[in-house]
Amino acid sequence: MEKQIKRTILEQGRDWFESDRKVILARVIQTWGSSPCPVGSNMIVNDKGEFFGSVSGGCVEANVIEECLDLLKNNNSFKQLEFKVSDDNAWNVGLACGGEIKIYIEKINS
Amino acid sequence: MKLEMLNEIIQKKSSSQNFALLTNLTNGNSEIFEFGKLLSNDFESYKKQIENYHSLKKNGVIDGTQIFIQNFTKPIEVIIVGAVHIAQYLVDLFKNLNFVITIVDPRKFFITDERFPNVKIINDWPEEIFKKLETDSNNALITLTHDPKIDDPALKHALKNKFFYIGALGSKKTHTKRCQRLKESGFTEEEIASIHGPIGIKLGGKSGPEIALSIVSQLVLESNKLLLNSKK
Repeated sequence: MEKQIKRTILEQGRDWFESDRKVILARVIQTWGSSPCPVGSNMIVNDKGEFFGSVSGGCVEANVIEECLDLLKNNNSFKQLEFKVSDDNAWNVGLACGGEIKIYIEKINS
Repeated sequence: MKLEMLNEIIQKKSSSQNFALLTNLTNGNSEIFEFGKLLSNDFESYKKQIENYHSLKKNGVIDGTQIFIQNFTKPIEVIIVGAVHIAQYLVDLFKNLNFVITIVDPRKFFITDERFPNVKIINDWPEEIFKKLETDSNNALITLTHDPKIDDPALKHALKNKFFYIGALGSKKTHTKRCQRLKESGFTEEEIASIHGPIGIKLGGKSGPEIALSIVSQLVLESNKLLLNSKK
């Protein structure tokens, strides 16, 4: 019987890239206060908006994906994103836990 | 990041190496770090700090710099002796944690690919297997057969090679007898006391999956203690 090996986030990114998708890697690089995903957590996003992995407990993923799709449209190869709790949009992109995180997104290129 | 770099990380991770990924946040350049490796101009002047973060397995933006370091740590290798029902639950629970599993059992009818489809299995006596396997303090041992002729040689090997976690399934009575045998084989009280027996933290459950969960919890607890101590 063939042994299956668990697919990791990075492997998913490579597989997407090899099937001609555009791919972005997002990584948590700094956190302050309480944050659900530790520094080093990562998520991979493709140009269809599909994603694998996580950078928060679901609080900012939608916004990170949007930023990734934006990055694909311009010439920059990377960008830093910062998320803080905010009363106005705490239910949208803010961190309900009161933490702050910095996320680094970058294109995968050949 | 170049696809080449992504592939290198995937390859190094799957061959269980200790390394770190360095990223210069000002220009986007990335590089692999390992002890003894020469670094490019982007990172060379921060080498001391990088080494420090890497030995502490600390991820983050290095103080006072724009260098991000992400460590990839060699997983703990867990050897499970006894391809019994609990071992099947253990494989399930370990699946999403940073552990590499090997299951060992000399009894052929227990240790089959059908029962353990996604994990490395070895059908032989622990004594024979440990002659070939390289083991050290990055290993953990879980014995599940409570048959002295299968479990005991594995426990002795693990004690001698300073496995960071050793747990043995069996009642208090079984464990007392086990400790007595180990004492007669020349192991010290202290060494014998380092064995977690009866295995697992007290969750109060008796079913297979609950026992497996209590074992995995104990192993995770001990491995986190290990990491915390190394950061002191």
